[in-house]
Formats: sequence, structure tokens, C-alpha cells
Amino acid sequence: MTPDVMSAAALVDRRRGWRIERRADPSAVGWLVALLLAALGAFILSGLLLATAGASPLDAFSNLAKGGFGSGRALANTAVKATPLIFTGLATALAFRARLWNIGAEGQVFAGAIAAYACTHALDAAPALLQMPLILVAAMIGGALFGGLAGVLKTHFKVDEVISTVMLNYIIAFGLSMLLLKGPWSEAGGFFEQTAKVAVNAELPILIDKTRLHLGFVIALVTAGLMQVVLAHTPFGYEVRAAGSNLRALAFQGTNTTRLVLLVMATSGALAALAGVSEVYGVHHRLHAAAIVGYGYTGIVIAILGRLQPLGVVAAAILFGGLVNGSTLMQIKTGVPSTLIYAIQAIILICYLVAWAAASFRIRRPGRTTPSGEIGRAGHG
Amino acid sequence: MTDATPLLSVQSLTKSFGSLVAVDGVSFDILPGEVHCLLGENGAGKSTLSSCLYGLYRPDAGVIRMDGEPIELRSPADALAAGIGMVHQHFVLVPTFTVLENIMVGTSRGWRLGGGEARTQVAKICSRHGIALDLDRLIGDLAVGEQQWVEIVKALYLDVRLLILDEPTAALTPDESARLFRMIRTMAASGLAVVLISHKMKEVLQSDRVTVLRKGGLIGTVRTDETSGPDLTAMMIGRHVGSHAAVAESKPGDVTLSLDAVTLDDRDGRRLLDRISFDLHGGEILGIAGVAGNGQNALFEVIAGIRRAFAGDIRLAGQSICHLSAKNIADRGLGHVPNDRLRDGLVGEFSIAENLILGHQWDAQYRHGPLLDRAGIDVRAEQAIADYAIQAPGPATTVRTLSGGNAQKVILAREFAKARRCLLCHQPTRGLDVGVIEYVHNELRRLRREGVAILLASEELDELFTLADRIAVIFDGKILGIFPRSVADIQTIGQLMAGHRDA
Amino acid sequence: MVEDLFQATIVISVLAATIRIATPILLTALGETVAQRSGVYNMGLEGTMLMGAFAAFIGTYQTGSQGAGVLAGAAMGALMSTIFAFMVITLRIEQIVTGLALNLLGAGLSTFWLRTAFAEQSVTPTIAFMGAAPIPYLEGIPWLGPILFRQGLLTYLAFLAVPLVWFFLFRTRFGLELRCIGENPKALDTKGLSVQGRRYAAVIFGGAMAGLGGAFLTVGSSARFVPDMTAGRGWLALVIVIAGVWRPGYVLTAALFFSFLDALQLQIQGIGINLPHQILLALPYIVAILSLALMRQNAKAPAMLGTPYIRDR
Repeated sequence: MTPDVMSAAALVDRRRGWRIERRADPSAVGWLVALLLAALGAFILSGLLLATAGASPLDAFSNLAKGGFGSGRALANTAVKATPLIFTGLATALAFRARLWNIGAEGQVFAGAIAAYACTHALDAAPALLQMPLILVAAMIGGALFGGLAGVLKTHFKVDEVISTVMLNYIIAFGLSMLLLKGPWSEAGGFFEQTAKVAVNAELPILIDKTRLHLGFVIALVTAGLMQVVLAHTPFGYEVRAAGSNLRALAFQGTNTTRLVLLVMATSGALAALAGVSEVYGVHHRLHAAAIVGYGYTGIVIAILGRLQPLGVVAAAILFGGLVNGSTLMQIKTGVPSTLIYAIQAIILICYLVAWAAASFRIRRPGRTTPSGEIGRAGHG
Repeated sequence: MTDATPLLSVQSLTKSFGSLVAVDGVSFDILPGEVHCLLGENGAGKSTLSSCLYGLYRPDAGVIRMDGEPIELRSPADALAAGIGMVHQHFVLVPTFTVLENIMVGTSRGWRLGGGEARTQVAKICSRHGIALDLDRLIGDLAVGEQQWVEIVKALYLDVRLLILDEPTAALTPDESARLFRMIRTMAASGLAVVLISHKMKEVLQSDRVTVLRKGGLIGTVRTDETSGPDLTAMMIGRHVGSHAAVAESKPGDVTLSLDAVTLDDRDGRRLLDRISFDLHGGEILGIAGVAGNGQNALFEVIAGIRRAFAGDIRLAGQSICHLSAKNIADRGLGHVPNDRLRDGLVGEFSIAENLILGHQWDAQYRHGPLLDRAGIDVRAEQAIADYAIQAPGPATTVRTLSGGNAQKVILAREFAKARRCLLCHQPTRGLDVGVIEYVHNELRRLRREGVAILLASEELDELFTLADRIAVIFDGKILGIFPRSVADIQTIGQLMAGHRDA
Repeated sequence: MVEDLFQATIVISVLAATIRIATPILLTALGETVAQRSGVYNMGLEGTMLMGAFAAFIGTYQTGSQGAGVLAGAAMGALMSTIFAFMVITLRIEQIVTGLALNLLGAGLSTFWLRTAFAEQSVTPTIAFMGAAPIPYLEGIPWLGPILFRQGLLTYLAFLAVPLVWFFLFRTRFGLELRCIGENPKALDTKGLSVQGRRYAAVIFGGAMAGLGGAFLTVGSSARFVPDMTAGRGWLALVIVIAGVWRPGYVLTAALFFSFLDALQLQIQGIGINLPHQILLALPYIVAILSLALMRQNAKAPAMLGTPYIRDR
């Protein structure tokens, strides 16, 4: 999706005779090679980064891996960290598949958390079986409305969705702060910018004792599976994929593309909102900005690394969940600040993008013709 | 003239893209002051060859000589340095720049924009060739024909000795084309060599010599005064084609599509369609003649329901369809083959099977409950591939990888199936090979026999005269006249296409 | 209390603050105007500014020279945008995705390096930042003097850059060529000139300007570097480029408009009007969306904005 959609074209090399061509679709092998190259590049660059901080890269990395994937418990907690990333990754992947650049998963997580909290705030002590579905539905409605707002701005007011979603991310963060800081939801007698704890009935149940693995992870996996089916096998998925390649042709055939854009933005927002539920009701059990901040932006990285495929998103989210989870052990053992992982995430993304683009180039010697995916050029002759 | 040293000579030039050999060992030469035509079908290698001469592509093998000296053309800069200029088929102009800015961009030496010198220079070129251009108008405000003059002046301003013109009359009216050829003659008389790329026989015959290409290979170079149109056609396509079969008189049925004073403005308030009215009968082909950009796109999109008319009424089989969605209109039996097939008609990343249901993804016949009926969709696609002789490995083939002709057949398969009552065809044969064009024409005739009402727009007047029962001329969003083919003559139509009402 | 706002000293201080606050977004937006005119949409401004701010801070801290700090900021901005240019121009990676990657990189690197560089200290160290450099004689003009001519050097530079960028874009041949490749790169390619090279130059210039904008945030006006201190200014600069319809004069107007809002909210908070401060802080972002919605026109954007150039087309 990202670089590979661009058409193949010859890029003439300065060196005589040799040339670099860009192919339409890198092969599966090419993709694997790209992944390995990206991993290697990210490893080397992150190692250099650690060296600039005067730390031993191997030490840091081994603690990072141990903390993230070294034991059953580590794995369970990695799954906990991966859960919100799966939701925001899916949200971003859905929008990007339709070539809608929704950068607003961050704000939609906030919207979902706020809507869900408004719901439990009103419900107080209703039984868990009633609370759970209500929370999920309220969050999804909140996220859908907030995502849909960016959609309306695009379809009816021609505001570029990249800009509007980023602006909305800032706006809703201030909105939450207004509710929490000496606001209607601030903890009675509390000093921090946070709500009181939610009722125990509203908490997402823990799945394995002595870990923090909660129901949210299962919901995330089910959602990913559902999205895979929806994208590949339903008319809506068909429209999303068609919009990603040629929205105009879809409109020419009578599909209401305005409605489609709104629907995709709303659905994307609803998916992102679930990350807010998983953090507020699964991990922190109260609403405060620190519980939900940052997942939206990391979700973009997850979506791209996962090739905008739901199952790829799950894999990438677990990898990143492990990084986040392992960074604590790394900080304790080696003193390397856990903020390292944010730099590493960006480095992984850049290495992946570069390796992926490079894999779609290939070097060809003159006189040897190789099959290429662009028979379409025959029409230009 | 034949004794002169060739200005440019090409020896065994070869260029391939992947497995496709676009130009295969072609040799020819060009004399100073000569008008030399490169003739061939679409895909014969003309454009690739000329792109090699202009340094846009680097040939895989072969030698290009200028004045007998081998030259290496790695970029247009090399070509320009050697004195080779080119006017591209699709204009390479900046709509938001003035005429003068378009001509001088990338040519000045100092860092300041020195308009004065360039202005005098351009004015000199214009007056020498009798071109009237307002240098301070924006390109976007010019008519298509005027843009062609800008392109030519732009090339001449670069002081070239050899000028390649790639399909220069594609966007011109017959009058403008004639004027262009008079200009080409003056240019040649002043010593400039002109390479003309064309497939229109009338133009080809106005050159001095013709080099014929077929499927990337060289067929031969002949002097124009020693050959004839039919001979050249035979060389071009490898066989003699008989004159077109006499068109059977059709017996039009009831009015199927009826437009009454349809008017449309664009977002900036410019009038795209101005009170367009006509009736189209079942079993009839109504041709729309006109230079591109005179409202054809808007007309087709309004009828198909992609745009909303601002005033007026459109009726399909007696019922107003003005306020229906494109999907509803299609469901009432209207098919639409759009002008730009890759941009408007197909989803490039989708398979043939998926493209065949485009717009119908919610129809019950393609679904099993909430899921798409993939197997059923594939079966239909296999049927279409067989019926329309689409050359592709199977229904899962990505449309992006198909040739122009096969991609068009995918659209035809989809739209013909919808067109139970009416078919809108906008340039259905543009860029296709002769064989495929014949196929499309026969399919259109078949639909007409079956009683479908067909609206056919084409920039090729020949195509309209071959197929249409009546021909309407569109200019600046207005229909300037509708003629039965039996009384229509090419002069009248040509005059109207240029907007001369009193012709 | 509202009438307090209209006292002369307060009006002057709000307007002077407007000019000061406009500096970083104006520098960044002018650079981005040039980049976008060439057809490249650099969304990585937030990260580029942040790295510029960080480099300027470290540069000043290490050398003790504010000038060296400013240069380090500009150089870091240029470096960041060189990475961007390589990815989008040479490798033709999606520009939006690359821009986001750059933002994440800037945020991640600056935070990590800040933590590691000063791991031993309990408080982050400070630098002496650039003060006002009043212009002799002019500063004495009533009203105008204190508003316009008691600013810092980077502010003068930012405002001087407006006519310079305008002159470059519309009165030099390089500007004409740059605008040409933003509208129709093939028109320049077919005259034998390099599209890619010019796009590289435009993007790197844009990055250096964003780096300068970042430098203003640290060495230009603050003693500290704080993680994520750009706080959305890079994104606002993008809004300003669009609202300023890619013309330096209008870009200046838009930048002044947004910084006026900011200056006003500072003043309102200062005199203690009872409004939730979050509303005031969110105001520029709300206004940004509203102004883009009211404009409703993207027709004036360079036609090839965001599209890589491939010769075959």
C-alpha cells in the first residue's frame, strides 16, 4: 500500500548501461528481505543511538527482549501493552486502506474514553453484564462521532483530513483536561488531573491470575479477525479497497462516495475508541490523560508495519507491546531511559519504509530482459 | 534533396520495457528541411522511438547520429543541445502561468526574470509563422487549439534544427489542422526538419517521406509521392482492409433518451452545458462531434447521474432521471463507457472479476447474505472473459496489468450488460489497435440492432461517419446542429466544431 | 476587567507579543511555502522544528555561543529534511507517511538525547537566550517602536524573509522554475532541467527554515529545552501555508492572525478573566479548522502537491 502503489518506472542510473528499475509489486521474497533489512537497519541505528548515550547496546537490547518476551508473565503483559495498539493500528489501517489519512486515532481514543466514562459515571453500580456492553457501545459511538466529524469536515467543507484530525487531537486533549482539572469529573478531594476509580463492575475482567491480561486483548483479536473478513469478503470492504485504489471510478459507477468516506472515518474512530476502553477499564481503572496518550500515533506506525492488514497489525502491535513492556526492565537494569523506545519505534518505521521502497527497485543489466508487471505500458508505444 | 547528408540518422535502435520490445532494431534518417512522417498503429513504437530521440528514454542498443556524428541522448538537455525539439501529444504546459512564462521557463541564464528580451524573441517567432498569441494571457484561459500554438512556439524558441511533432492535430479542428500544415511547410522551407508522428492518412500524405513501423519493427521508408494511402495502410497493419461495409440503414424505434434544455455550471460558475436538447431513439446511434473539452465530459456525466444538471430535464424511457443517483439510473438500463478508462472506469488494483461488479457490490445477485459471493462473481467473470475475448490468465488478473484494449473490453463487458435501454460511449476506441477498434464497432452495431439507443462521442470524425445515424456538433457546451449522416458533410461539421455557426 | 484590555500599554504588549510569537511559525511556514510550491508536502515540520529547537539548545549549551546554537538549529532542520527528501523524492515513499515518521523521529530522538545528555543533573540545565535587540532610533517611535523594533534578531530575520521569499518565488528564474515543477514538472524536465534536484533544494531550504523556527523556541526565547515544546506549532505552520494560499504575503497575514490569538489568550490569562484556560489554549486549533472550512478552496494549491515525478507519464 504505502510505496508499492506507485507505478513502475525506469529510473535511469548514472552509471553506463546499468539501470535501476522500479517494479510494480515487490515479490513476497522481496518483502521478507525488506523486513529483514529493516530489522537489521533498525538494530544498527538503535545501537548507535545507545552508544551516543554511553550505554552498551547488547546489554540494553537483551534486557529489552527479556522484559518483553522472556517469560510467560512478560508475554502476558506484552499482550496487555499490545491491546490498545491493535485497536489504533486497525483504526488507522482501515482508513489508510481507503486512502483516508486519518491521523486522528489519538483523539478518537480520547473521545471513546470520555464517552465510555460518561456512561459509567451515570450508571455507577449496574451489574457487570450490563455495564460491559454499554461501555463498549458508548465508546464506539464517541469515537465514531469524533472520527465522523473529521469526515464531515472533509466531505462537506473540503478540509484536508490530515490537518483536521491533528487539530482535533489537540482540541480534545484540552477538552479532557477541562473535565478533569477542577472539572466535573475530577476525583473528589483529589490533587491530580484524574477521575476517581471506576466501579469494580465496570472493570474488564482479568483473564490469567497474577498477570494484568484482561478481556480487552481477546476483544482486540476478535476485532482483527472480523476486520479481515469484512475487508476481503463484504461489499463494504470491497468499497474500502476500491476507494484506496480509485475513488473516482467507484463514484462513476454510482456508489455514494461521500457516505463511504463518512462511514470509513466513523468506523475508524469507533475502532480507535476501543483502545480507550481497554486502557481505562482494563488497566488503569480510572480516566486520566496519561492512561490513553500516544496510542493513536503509535497506531499509525503499527498499521504501516502491518502492511495495513489486520493480522499484520496484530503482529506489529505485539512486537511494539514487547518493546514498551521490556523498556521498563531495560531502564532498571541498564539505566537507559525507557524513552529510548519512542526513538526506536520511529527508526524501525523509517528503516521499514526505506527497505520496502528499496526492495521495489531492482538493478538490471542491459540486454537481459526480465519479466515485469507492466504490460500496461504497451498502450503507450 | 536525397543527396544531402542526413541531419539525423538512426541505426538499429532498440528499446524494451521488461519483456516488451517496444522498438526493435529500427533504422531511418532525416534530411534537413524535410517533413518526415512516422506512421504506425498504437503500440507500433512511434512514441517510444521519438522519446528516445528526445532523450526521455535511453535506448538499449543502436546509434543516433546528428550531422554524421554519433551522439548520446541521456536527457532532453542533450537532445536540445543537439538541436532536437519536441512537441508532445499531451501538452506540457503550466495552466497557471502566462504564455510567455511557459515559453521562457527553464531557458533564461541570469537569476533575474528578464521578460523583455524573451518577449521580443517570441514576438519575432510568432510573426515569422503568422501566429497570433497574447503573451500575457494565462494558459488555462486559452482554447485547446491556441495551446497547441504555444507548444510549437515553445519548441521553436529553443532554437532547434529538428522538431518532433507527436500527433499534433489530435486536439485541432480540421481548419486548425490545415493551418498547422501550412506552418509546417514554412518551417521546412526555412531549413527545419520536421518529424511528424501520425496515424491519420490525410496528414501522412502531406509529408515528404514516410517511415512505417509495425509492432516495434521497421517496415520501410517510402517517398510520399511514390505511394498511396491504401498502400501505406497495408504497410501499417500488414494487410489490406476493404472499405467500410455499407452501414445498414437502421430503423429507429421510440424515443429512449430525451434531453430538454439541460444546463450545467461548474463550481466557478462557468457554463459547461448550455440548454442542450435532443432525442435519441432506440436502435439509433447519435454521434457527438467536437474538439475535446467542449462539454462532452459534462454531458455524459450529467446523463449518467454523476453530476446534477442545474436546469432542464432528462428522460429515460419516458421517465425523468434528473434526480436519480447514478446507481438508480444504471439500474434502469443505462451503460456508460467513460472517456478516460483508467481514471474513471476501472479500479487498477482490482481483479477483472472485481471490476466487473463495480458499483453493484451490494446487488443481491452478487451476495450470500452479508458476504460477497466470490465463486459466483468469478464464474461471471470467466464468462465475460470468454465472450469478449479478453486476453488475461483469469478472473483474478489485476486490471492494471492489462493492455489498453483488454482493459477497455472489461469496461465494455460491464457496461454493455447494463445497457438494456441506452449506452453512453465516450471515445470508446481511443488508443486501441485497429483489430480491437473493428471489434468495438461491430459490438456497437450489434447493440443498435438489438434496439439500444447509443450516444457516441468521438474526436475521430471518421468513426462518427462510419457508425452514427445522426451527428450532433458540440461547441462550448452548446449543440450547434444535428444532421442525419446522409446529408452531413465534413466541411460543415468541421466549421461548426470551430464554432462558426454561419457555415 | 475587559476594559483593561484596551489600555495602551496592554495593547502594545499584546501586539509586541503577537510579533514575537509569530516568529517560529512564520519562519517555518515560509520554508514550507517554498517546499510546497515545488510540489512536496513536508508534514514532518513538527519533528523538524523540535529537532531544530533541541540542536539549538545543545549547540548553545556546548559552545556558549548563541549564534552557533542558531546555526546548529538550522543545520539540524536541513539534515532532517534531507532524510525526508531522500525518502520521498528519490525513493518515492508516500509523503504523508514519511512526514509522520519524521515527527515521531524528532520527538523520540530529542526526548531520549535530553534524558541521556543530562542524566546526572537533577534539573535540566539552562542557557542564556537571546534578548531583544532594539533598533536604534526606530525603537523610539511611539507605538510602532515597542511593537516592531524591540524584538530579537530571529524575529527581524523572519519578517525580512517574507519579501525575500516573495522576490525569490515571483521575480527570479529559480522561483519560476520551482513553481513550474509544482504545477507541471514535465514542463521543466522536457527542457532538460532537473526536477529532482530542485525539489531537493526546496525541501532542504524548508527544513532549514523550520530548524530556525525551532531555534527561536529555545535559544531565541527560552532558557530550557522541554520535550514536545513545539506543541503543535509545526502543524499550525502547515495550516498557515494553506490559509496563506501559498503566497508569502498572505502567509504573513495568517501567521500574525494565529499569533495574535495566542498573544491575546496569554494576556487574558494574565489579567485573570474567568475562562477555563484550556479553551483559550485550544482556540488556535479550533480557529484553524474553522478557517480552513470557511476557505473551502484547495484550487490554488500547486497542482502536483504531494505527487512524486515519474518521467513516463
